[in-house]
Amino acid sequence: MIEVQNLTKRYGTVNAISGVSFSAGRGVTGFLGPNGAGKTTTMRILTGFMPPTEGKATVAGYDVFDQSLEVRKRVGYLPENVPLYRDMTARDYLMYIGEIRGVKNRKARALEVLERVGLLHRANSRIRTLSKGMKQRVGLAQALVHNPPVLILDEPTIGLDPIQVLELRDLVSDLGRDHAVLFSTHILSEAEQVCDQLIIVNQGRVIKTGSPAQLRGELERGGRVLARLESNLESALPVVQGTPGVKGAVIAMDGIVATPDEGVDPRPQIAQALIQGGHKLIELRPLAVNLEEIFLELTRQEQAASAEAEAELIEAEVRMEAEGNPNTSEEQST
Amino acid sequence: MTDAPMTIGTTEQHRPEILHDVPVGGSLPFWAVFKREITQYFRSFVAYAIAFAVLFFLSLLFNGYVVQGNQQFPANSAYVPNILTFLMFLVAPLLTMRLLAEETREGTLEVLMTLPMGDWQFVVGKFLAAWAYYTVLLLITLVYHLILVQIGVPDMGEAFGAYVGAWLYGGAVIAVCMIWTAVTEDQIVAAFLSAATVLVLYLADIGATALGSQPNLRLLADILRELGLQSHYNATLAQGVFRAHDILYFIFVMIGALFITVRIVETRRWRA
Repeated sequence: MIEVQNLTKRYGTVNAISGVSFSAGRGVTGFLGPNGAGKTTTMRILTGFMPPTEGKATVAGYDVFDQSLEVRKRVGYLPENVPLYRDMTARDYLMYIGEIRGVKNRKARALEVLERVGLLHRANSRIRTLSKGMKQRVGLAQALVHNPPVLILDEPTIGLDPIQVLELRDLVSDLGRDHAVLFSTHILSEAEQVCDQLIIVNQGRVIKTGSPAQLRGELERGGRVLARLESNLESALPVVQGTPGVKGAVIAMDGIVATPDEGVDPRPQIAQALIQGGHKLIELRPLAVNLEEIFLELTRQEQAASAEAEAELIEAEVRMEAEGNPNTSEEQST
Repeated sequence: MTDAPMTIGTTEQHRPEILHDVPVGGSLPFWAVFKREITQYFRSFVAYAIAFAVLFFLSLLFNGYVVQGNQQFPANSAYVPNILTFLMFLVAPLLTMRLLAEETREGTLEVLMTLPMGDWQFVVGKFLAAWAYYTVLLLITLVYHLILVQIGVPDMGEAFGAYVGAWLYGGAVIAVCMIWTAVTEDQIVAAFLSAATVLVLYLADIGATALGSQPNLRLLADILRELGLQSHYNATLAQGVFRAHDILYFIFVMIGALFITVRIVETRRWRA
């Protein structure tokens, strides 16, 4: 239902996205990437908010540029910061959007949609009095009010507490049964749980597409491994370096980072070797478990693992670790 | 935590069926926007404060005028509309500053611009709401005319011309102010720029007179006079003289200013 071909958006000399192509049908498609990767820009083009510089995109069979109004009739859009009219009640707001969209029986429909997102009991509350999670749900209700075949949700789980996040994910995967849902996030575990298909973008380019299971499998075979030990790292390093299937190992990120041979998962061998050597192994995991690490892995694979790049990447990882979890850093909107 | 759990559709038993076809018909988006904005005006404190300030100021001046004029000179029907047209440099910016600037700042403009309607629809809807509010204010000032009728013999033709003129004048001024609220997302900046623009248009007539004393600047003076607001109101409509020329001026200012506003709103699609 969403077809994107070679989409490019240029701001002056900066490319927000360059040559993005993908297609998404019914089900939940995760649009995964770090802040500033071009997710919001792509979504804004798909909703008819802004035209692309180059390339073509169709939504539900209509061109986003030439048939913008037809596209907008068929898309429900939840922008990133969930803009709402704070002085209106939830129900009035939905009726207002419904009226602009020409929805019949607006009153009943507004209540129906509010019930769906679990906010019926706050239908007559002014939006400003609602909690952040509730506002997010009003925004989602707004996107659903005309029952569009295509839903575009820009980071809908940001800023919610863990329980609300779970509820929203359930709702999104539920919607995916009947709608084409394009869902952006920068949290990998979230994308893995909810999405049928993943599109990973970085610096305005699609770097990988596939199902979550496929991607994880690919990363686990041949991806680097982190071993953390309670005992002395220096003495354990030669043991890891000597393990069959390990191409090299260095001390980094509070542990030992081992690079395996192509297409090999060396974890069983490393574990065995360390324990036999009397080292106290706490943790042994693929390095790439969060999105930032996956990017580093994917870009590392692209760069054919030259020694210099390797050193740079490890440096970057150490820096990242020192700065804390970058997931929580301020979102920079494009 | 006050949030009640969301009804989650993992089981089928309680799942409100929202996925049926929602009937969608023809819509008048500008009308929906108009209704929302006019409701906002009559719910907001600011709108009442503006009305209070304007009416209070008018009543003080009017009282002084009536006392002074008692038996001395004929009642001037255009007295109140004239003051109102002057006050528009304050009233119109206060009415319009919120309209688009707030939507831009809050990000709600992005939602409006992804709804199935042309950008002109919400610009026109908002303009009409501000104009309607002004119309109500103008109708309230008819009270002063009723008082004049009670205590004197005002010229009815002049009164009609002055009120229709003040109404068109207000529409034109509000449309001009729409441009600035579209340009900036800062309401205060929008209000100041609007006030400055309206004041310049108000004073253009005086500027033209000053320029006109130089023989070689006559043409420039005439152009300036035609562009200004007062020359199309004060000398004609406010005297009860209807000229197609003046009516068309106000209508063209409205259409032109709204056209520019829509174009500026459209640039948000490229600048965003």
